[in-house]
Amino acid sequence: MPKCTIDGKEIEVAPGTSVIQAAEQAGVRVPRFCYHDDLPVDGNCRMCMVEIEKFPKLQIACGTPVSEGMVIKTQVTSEKAKNAQKDTLEFLLVNHPIDCPVCDQAGECYLQDQYMDHGLHDSRIVLEDKIQKRKVVDIGPILLDAERCVVCSRCLRYEREVTKTNLLEFVNRGGSTQISTYNGGSITHEYAGNLVDVCPVGALLSKDFRFKMRVWFLKETDSICPGCSTGCNMTIDHRDGEAYRFRPRRNVEVNKSWMCDPGRDLYKTIGSGRVTTAHRTGGAVAAQSELIDEMVAKLQAAGAHSAFLASPRASNEDAFAFKKLALVVGGRLDFRVGNPQDKVKVRKDEILQREDRHPNTQGLIDLGLGVTGVEALLGDCKAGKVQVLVLQDGAMLQDPAVAEAAKNVAYVAAMATHQGSHLSAAHAVLPAAMWVETDGTFTNFDQRVQRFKRAFEAPGDAKPRWEIALDLLARLGKPMNAATAGDVFVEMAVETKAYADLTHRGLGPMGRGQGDPAKAQATA
Amino acid sequence: MASTVITVNRDTRPGVYPILYGMWLTLRNMFETLFVKGRSATIEYPEKKRNISGRYRGVHLLTAREDGTPKCVACYMCATVCPAECIYIEAGERPEKKIEKYPTRFEIDLLRCVFCGFCVDACPEEAILMSRENDLVGTSREELIMDRDQLMNRGKLAEVGRGYHPTDHDVRRPVRIAALDRLKSEHGIVPGMPNRS
Repeated sequence: MPKCTIDGKEIEVAPGTSVIQAAEQAGVRVPRFCYHDDLPVDGNCRMCMVEIEKFPKLQIACGTPVSEGMVIKTQVTSEKAKNAQKDTLEFLLVNHPIDCPVCDQAGECYLQDQYMDHGLHDSRIVLEDKIQKRKVVDIGPILLDAERCVVCSRCLRYEREVTKTNLLEFVNRGGSTQISTYNGGSITHEYAGNLVDVCPVGALLSKDFRFKMRVWFLKETDSICPGCSTGCNMTIDHRDGEAYRFRPRRNVEVNKSWMCDPGRDLYKTIGSGRVTTAHRTGGAVAAQSELIDEMVAKLQAAGAHSAFLASPRASNEDAFAFKKLALVVGGRLDFRVGNPQDKVKVRKDEILQREDRHPNTQGLIDLGLGVTGVEALLGDCKAGKVQVLVLQDGAMLQDPAVAEAAKNVAYVAAMATHQGSHLSAAHAVLPAAMWVETDGTFTNFDQRVQRFKRAFEAPGDAKPRWEIALDLLARLGKPMNAATAGDVFVEMAVETKAYADLTHRGLGPMGRGQGDPAKAQATA
Repeated sequence: MASTVITVNRDTRPGVYPILYGMWLTLRNMFETLFVKGRSATIEYPEKKRNISGRYRGVHLLTAREDGTPKCVACYMCATVCPAECIYIEAGERPEKKIEKYPTRFEIDLLRCVFCGFCVDACPEEAILMSRENDLVGTSREELIMDRDQLMNRGKLAEVGRGYHPTDHDVRRPVRIAALDRLKSEHGIVPGMPNRS
């Protein structure tokens, strides 16, 4: 474990740590363009210059590993490093068009931030003398603006190392260098959104997010992608109850800094076509409490002749409350996965996506929701042995097997998020909140429990599924001592071995995997 | 704490002279206003109007390019800086790659606006300016939400003239002057776009 001194502060780092990472650990952010935590070091932007004792010249912090006894001075204490960074920035800005007012990157642009922190010089190049390059080049899901590019090669390295597609390359030389796809072709893989995130400036921008919103208006909420069983960590950018985009949040154990495009597109499902009020078949609108009373009466009458079908889109809290409900009523219980459950761990591609397109199949397995068996449960429904069927997700009625089974059930109740013709098969529909509108946890394929937070209010009367289940439990005379999703999680941790000693707060921003030393220590 | 005692001498006789003096003042002003030219404080509004300062902050206007399209590039700087949050913008794409962006919707809710002029200061394109128009009348709330086309065609502009404008040097406020001085003394820089001419 080499020890080094950064700006007078002594710090011990793991062997092989670069100076830029060590400085980060010491609380100093060295400015950078080409260095990225999850990409190989290239050292071409020369922005991260620092002074290291006994080196005759300034060194790049990203490409210099820390060795024992190194004395490093960053821009904070070294005038030399500060000037070098300032000059580098001026060179990088020589041909920059300064079109920040129309650039979508403004607000999260390395050039802007570092100009304010380390530059603050006046340009010596008049706008007309700058080299003109291609602007607004359509390369599939993203747009390329070569004038804004600082030629850091992050996107090239991403294409080379992560997707292994090599779709981008540098063309021309010197000041005219710019990135390009072969023959102006498109980015064809499903991970193009990461190119936009990787780009430190406004050279690669998302076509989908283009001109929608200035980023400084957006609020960030930590969340988990519900697109598949990988459970990528992500940030929801939202404003006034509307999600504008999903961005990956770095978690080395799960998704590094990446996220797939189908996952990013899921923000579009939040705002449109939602179920906002409780309703019965035939369009008769009931007050939600009235409908819940009716459900309770039906459930009490049915008793063991009821069936509960949980959804792998539900959070652990939802599933646990749902399981409690089934146990109190005494009905059949299982959960349905569109594709077979054994696909939880199967990769769809070599990067992130998995075959199981539900976020919480593993969590439902861990919680023991597979009691009756899906085939048996649906078979009983079809045979007319079931009087009341409760579905945790109305979208399950889109599955032909479930839809057919529901035909022979006298009373079908569904918690639904989205409207659709399939909902006409349900006798009672309760509006349910989506994962962004409540707190909760998902368990990914690797049994890693990860937390997502509430970003904004659910539309209309929609309530989180765990809250609906708690409502029903309270009416049935078996209330659970819980007011928040965190409380439900505590109840769940008491009863479930896999989640023992975990709490919402204890999960932290990165979640807890089964192999985590912290978790092993807690259970020991 | 010791309190201070103020003694007021009320032992005065009102008498008739102060009353007469007051009446004389009133009558003198009345006759002067009626018959002496130039002594009147009243103007015959709306036929006559007061001379309004050249940096008056009245109703906004959007400036246009030579081809009549808005100069605005929908950068949202005005909406960001607006303390009353009265500016609503939606951006669209222009075919010219050098400009890229323009506002498809640009609305100012003049009933929310506090006429502080920050939007004019913030604008990087001199697209939003203020006029000297101050007789703002409407019969409904909706009427006073100005949309893009209304802001571009301020009919009264020719009559009332342009108001607050960021390049008026006499309107540099003390705060801004102090900030500029600090930038110059601490960093040795004078901000501004590079000379394009």
